[in-house]
Amino acid sequence: MDQRASYRAFILVSLLGAGFVFLGTQSLDDYGRSIIEFVGINIILAVSLNITNGLVGLFSLGHPAFMAIGGYTSAILLIPANRKALLLPDLPHWLASQEWTFLPALIAGGGAAVLAALIIGFPVLRLRGHYLAVATLGFIFIVQSLAVNLSGITRGALGLSGLPALTTLWWVYGWLLFTLVVCWRLKHSSLGRTMLAIRENELAASCLGVKVTHTRIFAFALGAFFAGVSGGLWAHLVTLISPSSFTFLLAFQLVVMIVVGGSGSIIGTMLAAAILTIATEMLRPVEESLDLFGASQILTALCVLLVLIFRPRGLFGTAEPDLLRWSGLLFGRHWTRSGSKNRRKEVS
Amino acid sequence: MRKPLATLLAAATVLGIAATTPIAQAAEPIKIVALYNLTSGGLASIDAPSLNGLKLKAKMINDAGGLLGGRKIDVVAIDTKNDTKETATGAKRAVSMENVVAGIGQSDTTFALAAAPLFQSKGIPFVTSGATSPDLPAMVGDEMFLVPFGDDVQAHAMAEYAYNNLNVRKIAVWTDNAMDYTIGLSKYFEERFKKLGGTILVNDVYMTSDQDFSALVSRLQANSDVQAIFASSGPDTAGIIIKQVREAGINIPILGGDGYDTDLVSSVPGKDLSNDVYFTTHAYAGLETGPANTFRTAYQKEYGKQPENAFAALGYDAMGLVADAISRAGSTDHKAVTKALASTSGYEGVTGKIAYMNGSRVPSKPVAIMYVDHGQVEFKTTVTPSN
Amino acid sequence: MTTPYILAQIVNGIILGSMYALVAIGFSMIYGIVRLINFAHGDILAIGAFASLAGVAIFSLPFPLAILAVLAVGAAIGVFIERIAFRPMRGAPQVTGFIASLAVAIIIENLGILTVSAQPRTFRVPHYLNDLVNIGMQSIRVIDIAIVILAVCLMAFLALFVRFSKIGIAMRATAENYDVARLMGINIDRMIMTAFAVGSGLAATAGLMWGSKYGQISPLMGLVPGLKAFVAAVIGGVGSITGAMLGGYVLGLAEVLFVGLLPSEYSGYRNAFVFGALILILLLMPNGLLGRNLEERA
Repeated sequence: MDQRASYRAFILVSLLGAGFVFLGTQSLDDYGRSIIEFVGINIILAVSLNITNGLVGLFSLGHPAFMAIGGYTSAILLIPANRKALLLPDLPHWLASQEWTFLPALIAGGGAAVLAALIIGFPVLRLRGHYLAVATLGFIFIVQSLAVNLSGITRGALGLSGLPALTTLWWVYGWLLFTLVVCWRLKHSSLGRTMLAIRENELAASCLGVKVTHTRIFAFALGAFFAGVSGGLWAHLVTLISPSSFTFLLAFQLVVMIVVGGSGSIIGTMLAAAILTIATEMLRPVEESLDLFGASQILTALCVLLVLIFRPRGLFGTAEPDLLRWSGLLFGRHWTRSGSKNRRKEVS
Repeated sequence: MRKPLATLLAAATVLGIAATTPIAQAAEPIKIVALYNLTSGGLASIDAPSLNGLKLKAKMINDAGGLLGGRKIDVVAIDTKNDTKETATGAKRAVSMENVVAGIGQSDTTFALAAAPLFQSKGIPFVTSGATSPDLPAMVGDEMFLVPFGDDVQAHAMAEYAYNNLNVRKIAVWTDNAMDYTIGLSKYFEERFKKLGGTILVNDVYMTSDQDFSALVSRLQANSDVQAIFASSGPDTAGIIIKQVREAGINIPILGGDGYDTDLVSSVPGKDLSNDVYFTTHAYAGLETGPANTFRTAYQKEYGKQPENAFAALGYDAMGLVADAISRAGSTDHKAVTKALASTSGYEGVTGKIAYMNGSRVPSKPVAIMYVDHGQVEFKTTVTPSN
Repeated sequence: MTTPYILAQIVNGIILGSMYALVAIGFSMIYGIVRLINFAHGDILAIGAFASLAGVAIFSLPFPLAILAVLAVGAAIGVFIERIAFRPMRGAPQVTGFIASLAVAIIIENLGILTVSAQPRTFRVPHYLNDLVNIGMQSIRVIDIAIVILAVCLMAFLALFVRFSKIGIAMRATAENYDVARLMGINIDRMIMTAFAVGSGLAATAGLMWGSKYGQISPLMGLVPGLKAFVAAVIGGVGSITGAMLGGYVLGLAEVLFVGLLPSEYSGYRNAFVFGALILILLLMPNGLLGRNLEERA
C-alpha cells in the first residue's frame, strides 16, 4: 500500500480498535478485560522482540530480564514514599523519597531496561546465533538471582505486592498503538531495511558501509525499552512482582509467537500473539475438566515443532499480510485503492 | 402474541420455570474454587497434595449428604502454573464465575498475595491452606483467612524448644533464600533465639533448586562450636539437607519447620542417617484412632498412597473449615460466610483446633514438635510459644 | 580456611564435576556433528534417574546391571528424539534447532509431571554404597568414589572409541567436515544417531549418579544441571569431547569453591556466578579451553 493509503488504513484500524476497547471496558468483566490486556501486553512484547530477533536476526531470549528490570523500577517508583521506606530499607535516600505517576514510571522502567541493554549489549552482542541465545538466557538467571538476593531493594523472594492496579485497557491499547507505530515505521524505513540486510548477510551489509554493531545495539535496546514498559504494565495488572514472575518459559512463549507468526512480520506476530494467548486461556477449562494439567503447554510446544518442521518461516515470513485487502475481498468490496499496482513487493 | 395457544404455552412455560426454580435452587451445587500450582515447577509438590486433601474432604462431605440440606460441594480446580500472572488471571476468572461461595488455595505467600486481593475486592472469602506469613491478613484484608499457624508461631516454638529443652546456645542457621516461607521462618527463629540469649554462629543461604550442599556442610564442619543447626527448608530440600549433613559425620541435632513434614525426611537419608532431627508441625489430632487416622485411611483409599506431606492435611482442613462456616452461616451469602469464618471458635481439624481469636485471622494452634529417630517419626511434645 | 577444609571442597568439586562432565560430553558430541544446542539434554538426566529407579524398584535389577540398562534407555530416548524432532529440521538455520530443542524440553518436562507427578521421590541405593572410606584426612563415601571412577571409565572408553574405532573415526570426520564426510560415503544419519545415542546414554547415567548421590529425584531435576553442563561444555570448548570433560571438572570445582570460599552471604548467588562465568567465557575465550573455531561464534 502506498503511504497515504496505509496512513488511512492505520487511522481506520486504530479507531476501530478504540471502539472495541470502549466496548470492552463497558461489557467485559474483570477476567475478560485482563485477558485482553494480557493479549495486548503480549503483542507489545512479541512485536518488540520481533525487531530484535526478526528484523536484525539477533536471537535474544532476554526479554523477561528486561521486563523484570522495567517492572521493578516502575513498581518502586510508584509505591508511596512512606511504604517504600518500610518495605525497602536499602533503597538510597533520593530514590526512597520519590513518588511518581504511572506514565513517567513506565517510561523510567523502559529507560532502566535500555540502560541494562546497553551495558549488557556491548559485550554480549558480539556473539552470534545460539550463543547469543544462551548468553541472554543466562542474563535472565542473573537478573532473577539479583532480584532474590538484593532483598533490601526488591524485597527478595516475597516480591512487591499490593501494587496499585493502574493498568487498564486504554493504557495497554495506547502503548500497543505506540509500539506498532514505532515498529512499523522502523521496518519500512531505511534503518529497517538496513536491519534486514544485516539479517540476510552481515558481511555484505558491512561491506556496504552499514554500521553493524551500532544497528544491532539499537535494535536490542529498542526491544528492551518496550520490554521494560511491558514489565511495568504487567506488574500493575497482576498487582504483584516477584523474582519468579518473568522466567525463561515466558521467553520461550514469546519466541513461539514470533516463530509461528513469521520472524519479521509485525502483523503475523500480532496475530500469533493474540491467537496463542487466547487459545491457551480457552484450553484451561478443558485441562481442568480432564484433569490433564500441563496439556496446554505440551500442545503449544508440539505446535511449535510442527510449524518449525513444515513452515519454518512461520505463517507470513517477513511479509506484512495486507489484511485490509483480505477483509475487502471477504466482503466483496475493495477498501483500498487498487492495491496491486502500487504495492511494493515485500521481501518474503 | 395473538394466538391463544401461544399465550397459553408462554404462560405454561413461565409457570413451569417458576415452579421448578426453587427445586433447582435447592439442588444447586455449592461452588468452591481451588487455586493451586499444579504444573511447571517447584510448588507443585506442595500444592498437588493440598488439592488432593481438599477434594477428598469435599467428596466425603458430599457422600455424607452435602451441606445446607443436600447441596453438593462442587470444587473447581484452577491450575496457576507456578506463575503469578496465571494466579492473578485464575483468580479473576474465579471471582467472575457465577455463584462462587469461597476460594481456597496456595501454599506460598507470594502466590497467595497474587490471588487473595481479587477475592477481597469482590467480598468473597479466601482461605489459604498453606501460606503462612502472619502478615497476610493485614496485607490483604478481612476476607483473608489462614488455616495453618503463622511462621512466627512455629519458629518461636522451635527456638524456645531448642533453647529450653535441648539447651542449645550456639546455633547455625541455613535459609532457603528463594522462598518467602523459609526466609520468614529463619527471621522469626533468629529473633526469638537471640532474645532468649542464644548466639548464631553460622548464617548460610541456599536456593530451593540447589541440591549440592557440600560447601555449606564443609563450612559447618569447620565450626566445631555449633551445637545444632536450624535448616529452614521446604519439603523438597529437607531430606537432602539431612542426608548430606549426616553423611559428613555431623551429628548435632537438625531443627526445621513444617516443611519437614514429609516422608522424604526419613526415606531420602535412609534409616541410619535420618536421626536426631526435630521439626515443628501441626498437632495432628488423633493419629492413631481419631480424625487424622480417618484422614490418612481415606487418602490412601482414594489416591492409593499416604499423604505426601503436611499440606495434604491442610488442604483437607481448609475445605472442612469452609464447609463448617457455610453450615454455621446457614447460607452461601458471602457476607454471612465471611462472618461465620471470622467467628470460628473451635473447628476441630486434622491439623489441630482452628480458632480465630480477637479478630485475628491467623489461627492460634498448638505447635507439635516431632522427633526423628532412625527414620521413625515420633511425637515429642506440644509447645505454645510465649506471647 | 584450613587445608582440610579446602581439600574437602576440592573433593566435592571433583564429584560434582564428574557428573557435569558426563552431561557436557553429550552436549559437545551432538553440537560437534549437527551444530545444535540440545536444550532437552538436561531432561534426559531426569529420564535416566527415573528409569534407574524403575529398574531397581520394579524390575529388581542389581545395581551394576541398572547402569547398563540406563545407558541403553538413555541411548534409545536420544535416538527417538533425534528422529522425531531434529532430523526433519536438518539444514535449517541454527536457531530453529534450538527452539525445537526448547519445545522438546518442555514436552518432556510436562509429560513427566503428568505421568509421575511433580513429587520428589526417594532414590535408594544398595547399602554398601553408603559406607564411609577414609583417605588420608578426608572421609568420602563409596558412592562418591564410585561416581568418579565410573565417570572416568566411561570417558576413557569413549575417548578410545572415538579415537580408534571405525565409527568413532567416522564421527570425528563428520564433525570436522560434514559435506566431505558424505562424499566419502559415510552414512551421516547413522553418525548423527550414534552421537545422540552415546551422548544421551551418558546423560542418563549422570542421572543415575545424581539420584544415587543426593537420594532424591523429580521430573524437573534435570533443568538446572543441564544448563550448567552446557556452561561446562562451553568452558571446555563446544564440540571438543576432551574439552567437555575438562569443562565439567572446571565448572564443578569453580561452583563449589565459589560457594565454599566466599562469605556465606554470597552463597545465594551460585547460579548467577555460573551464568556470569558463561557470558565471560563466551566473550573472552569463545573457543573455550580446548575447542577449535568450528564456526563463527563472535
